[in-house]
Amino acid sequence: MEPIIDLQNVSKKISSFSIDEMNLQVEKGMVTGFIGENGAGKSTTIKLIMNLLKPDTGDVKLFGLDYATHEKEIKERIGFVYDSNIFFEGMNLKDIKRVVAPAYRQWDDALFKNYIDQFELPMNKAIKSFSKGMQMKASIALAISHHAELIIMDEPTAGLDPIFRRELLNLLQELMLDSNQTIFFSTHITTDLDRIADYIAFIQNGKLLFNHSTEEIKDQYAVVKGSNDLLDRDTEQFFINVKRTNSGFNALTNQPKTVQNVFEDTIIMERATLEDIMYYSKGGKEHAKSY
Amino acid sequence: MLNLIKRDAIIQKKQLYVFIPFMLFFILMQVPPILTFLVVSIYIPMNAYAYDEKAETNILLNSLPYTRKQIIAARYIGSVFYITLSVLLTIAILLLLNQPFEWHDVGIGVMSSILFSSFAFPMYYIFKRGYVSLATMIAFFILVAFVPMILPKISNQLTNFLHFVQELSLSVIYGSVVSITIVIYLFSWLITMTIYERKAF
Repeated sequence: MEPIIDLQNVSKKISSFSIDEMNLQVEKGMVTGFIGENGAGKSTTIKLIMNLLKPDTGDVKLFGLDYATHEKEIKERIGFVYDSNIFFEGMNLKDIKRVVAPAYRQWDDALFKNYIDQFELPMNKAIKSFSKGMQMKASIALAISHHAELIIMDEPTAGLDPIFRRELLNLLQELMLDSNQTIFFSTHITTDLDRIADYIAFIQNGKLLFNHSTEEIKDQYAVVKGSNDLLDRDTEQFFINVKRTNSGFNALTNQPKTVQNVFEDTIIMERATLEDIMYYSKGGKEHAKSY
Repeated sequence: MLNLIKRDAIIQKKQLYVFIPFMLFFILMQVPPILTFLVVSIYIPMNAYAYDEKAETNILLNSLPYTRKQIIAARYIGSVFYITLSVLLTIAILLLLNQPFEWHDVGIGVMSSILFSSFAFPMYYIFKRGYVSLATMIAFFILVAFVPMILPKISNQLTNFLHFVQELSLSVIYGSVVSITIVIYLFSWLITMTIYERKAF
């Protein structure tokens, strides 16, 4: 099956920052969490996917179509949420809807009204008077009322309180009950992902380090703890990054089975969280494919 | 496309409450009608631009199912539409208040505002927000500095040209002014579209 989002060898240089030869495929019906530290290139990648930026080299395809010939068709099928308010600040939701709705052939006014009621949003107040959470709710309501097949969100949970974050994740889960739905969203709050993500794409310094299913990640990564004298040039090869302290070392590996066989009982091995993976990957060596 | 043009009206709804008193003020202050026409016909397109200058607006428009070509086309066609509308409204009010005006006031006012837009729109898209006024200032100084230098050198040709123009009939002059304005406007459209297609948001 054709991927919904398909980036092939995409490179883009923006002043001192660049996306390097990125290959990213997102499958239909999956929730992909796009993680990476601030400045890693998450927003730039999303802009490339949305055709707000054009790649210097490489191809961007959505639903198997390219932007050069099918721009409207593609965007018709996407619902987008950005991390900042992109709507006219002084306008109220009623007027914003009147700008956004006619753009989509499949706009569903009843559905929109449903979300507005559910989120308890006022239609006649200027959007600049909304709290950050309300603005995000409004953006989401506007993004999911035209039966989009792909929902792209840039940091939708940033700056939101825990209650609304959970509500949002529930909402996304509800949306995912429809098997045609695909969601791609960036975040640096990795705990959001444990609940809903099927795939995790991890970007660092403009490079995609991996795009694995959450199951694969569970099996593939582990945090290893042991005493410093276990480390030498040979054994260090098993680790992506090693942090030494006086009491011993902590390290991340993507070859847990090998490590277990080599060190046997001399080490403690734990499941790596996404945060562990992000933390150790910084300044570590590249994630060599272990399969 | 129609949606994009309609969008200007939705965004500027509140501005229209300022627009009409503003126009009445001009008329009641007995400002020369030609100036009134110029100002009212520039008002809506420039105001619409003030919104679109914001980066966020461009992100929104470009994320919706519109092509960049359509966004610029809406800007140029919409401007002509709103210029026509404002001018018709002004004419109606002038007639209602029994104020005298000449048809060539309308013509010159509209042509000047279309010419102004032809230069202003591409400038807005070339320069980043906040730099437009600087660019306009620099352009102004260059004009002030160079025109007096160039003028004496081309004065001969200019006199010949003026003689030539004087001999033409009024309708030919109007006709050519209108056609030249249209060509400049279309050319400006093409340039803005080319710039906009390459823009990153």
